[in-house]
Amino acid sequence: MLRLIPYLISIFAWCSFPGWAQANLNVVTTTSDSAAIVQMIGGEHVQVQSLTLGTRDPHFAEATPSMIRRVHQADLLVLIGADLEIGWLPPLLEAARNSRVLLGARGYVDLSTSVLLLDKPTGTVSRAQGDVHANGNPHYWLDPRNGLRMAQMISVRLGEIDPTHAADYRARLEAFQQELERRLPVWQASLASLKGKPVLAYHKSFVYLADAFGFQIVAEVEPKPGIPPNASHLQQLIATIHTRKISALIMEPYYERRSAEYLAQQTGVKVVVLPQSVGAQPGIATYFELFGAVIAAFKTAGVVP
Amino acid sequence: MYYRQLILPAAVLLSLHAVTAHAASETEIQELRDELQQTKTGYESRLKALEERNSSATTRVNAGSFNFGVSALFSAGGSSATDAELANLQAGGHDPNRNGFTVQNVELSIGGAVDPYLDGQANLIFLIDRNGETVVELEEAFLTTRALSYGLQVKAGQFFTEFGRQNSQHPHTWAFVDQPVILSRFFGGDGLRSQGARFAWLTPLPWYSEFYLGAQNANGETVTSFLFAPGEIVDGHTLIDRGGARKASDLLWSARWLNGGDLSDTVSANLGVSALQGPNATAIDTNTNIYGIDLYLKWQPIVNQRGFPFIAWQTEWLTRDYDIPGDSLKDRGGYTQALWGFTPRWVAGLRLEYADGRDNNGTDPLRDQRKRYAPNLTFYPTEFSKIRLQYNRDWAEHLAGNTANSLWLQYEINLGAHSAHKF
Repeated sequence: MLRLIPYLISIFAWCSFPGWAQANLNVVTTTSDSAAIVQMIGGEHVQVQSLTLGTRDPHFAEATPSMIRRVHQADLLVLIGADLEIGWLPPLLEAARNSRVLLGARGYVDLSTSVLLLDKPTGTVSRAQGDVHANGNPHYWLDPRNGLRMAQMISVRLGEIDPTHAADYRARLEAFQQELERRLPVWQASLASLKGKPVLAYHKSFVYLADAFGFQIVAEVEPKPGIPPNASHLQQLIATIHTRKISALIMEPYYERRSAEYLAQQTGVKVVVLPQSVGAQPGIATYFELFGAVIAAFKTAGVVP
Repeated sequence: MYYRQLILPAAVLLSLHAVTAHAASETEIQELRDELQQTKTGYESRLKALEERNSSATTRVNAGSFNFGVSALFSAGGSSATDAELANLQAGGHDPNRNGFTVQNVELSIGGAVDPYLDGQANLIFLIDRNGETVVELEEAFLTTRALSYGLQVKAGQFFTEFGRQNSQHPHTWAFVDQPVILSRFFGGDGLRSQGARFAWLTPLPWYSEFYLGAQNANGETVTSFLFAPGEIVDGHTLIDRGGARKASDLLWSARWLNGGDLSDTVSANLGVSALQGPNATAIDTNTNIYGIDLYLKWQPIVNQRGFPFIAWQTEWLTRDYDIPGDSLKDRGGYTQALWGFTPRWVAGLRLEYADGRDNNGTDPLRDQRKRYAPNLTFYPTEFSKIRLQYNRDWAEHLAGNTANSLWLQYEINLGAHSAHKF
């Protein structure tokens, strides 16, 4: 046993040798969407990893050992904020003990401060209302215009931490902006027929998408955020669908389909399973591909031509 | 740079393109472009303005990393065993342990950042014991360093010893209504906790690997296998008062090595080994050693809704050498439990347990052979509350008739601070 000690010491020494780590900036993001944007802005100068998979609901992650490891080594931690990660980021930061990415450090990048949050509750917020986010709705990456704001903040922070490549980060932001300006009118034209139309959503997570493309979310399948529907709520929804002439129900791929299928069968409303994040479905690898897939989903469901 | 050279022609092209584009999107894009132009000229002030626009709520929540939470755990149920027998069968201080209603644990926890260097945490517990008396305990109160270099962390104060998986967990995070038998035997009804300090080192190894080394006082009612309380009787030996700590070996020393990582996109695991050494009070020079191994595995499919479905498997095995004058008592035991979150909000669980002490006479409820199996079903209306039904099938050597059947209903509420999703 004692003979092993020198070997163990040399392994630790080797692992902690600074040159061993890659020269690139080590960026950790809480979600796949911000990882995709960081990749576009950072290019070859960054090594980026998302802590959660795009196929999972990011509210309900857990601070796993591999996350502790990744945050411990991060130069930059990019989060969505607005309480999206409230359940798991505080214990994770505590366990990872990395002063570079603690709240207040330059490596702590809360993207929610770069956008205007919608759905900010007025008056008293109580858990009796379900999962209401006191700071506003955190699903803002679903507005492509917010994607640009996120990219802007990422570009600035990358440039602060890594001034050598600041010009590259700025240039990639320009490219990001140009590509977005080229694509946004195309996307808006594809969803033009949805403009002003009432839509039903499963969870309160598409308000930004609605804002960007001009449709209205008039009701949710969940009676309160996070609370699954019961029979009487579904009956009310059937009435709402009829009176408001709602033609589409939009939902994330990870929610149960039974309620939606029941409503579709009762009313003929079209169920649109929308990828809510990069990586939510196969083939969505970049932030721009996400919106391409969202539009494709509307088309496949027959909601837009 | 390449892109920069393209900006002007691209802008010209874009504006041409925009003439043909949808009028509304043109204005929106122009607004966005203006906004970005502004942000480029004064990013910092812009950011401040946005932060202010996002109002005082953000500031309040972010500035106040001070959390206050109350959790209350109640249970009701009945058993084929009498209340006196239940006291031995359900030896955990927070176990439902009498026929009728039990207030298992009401916990007040306050915590947050003290300053840039330290975090602080205090947990006060209230419970009502078998005699109807309210008991208040300072369960934990400690500081931890926030960000020492080299992955080091110091914790100091009164805290649960980081031995194995469950000992340092609080009752409201347990997956069963009661404490595993072996933990009640080795660490007493309240779990192993005492005053002291511990170092932790998150190693730079390419997987999660952390070492813990702690020293705590070895005396007191929550240090059961060690000095414990004078006058208590262990296997016929009345515990003596060995006086205060004079040398390092009078303290309780703990060591733990925890490793973990993702085995795949869907499976994460933790494997830990722990050891304890400290004096016991059966004589002036007797020691106790406890060793343990713990494994936790969790599976979640690639697509999941609100953390469901999942399967979590947790196992601990412990052994103890408890010196007595001229001899050593050897005890061992463990449990294995599986949880299956089969649909959102619903979790089914099964725990199997075993414990025994070598050469015991079959009458000591803390050393006899015991087996217990316990299936349960939990419903979580939200993350902040739960209702749990558990059946316990006990087999104990000391018990008249050897078997007992119990059924417990547990309900829990959490107020205040958001519950932490720890692995």
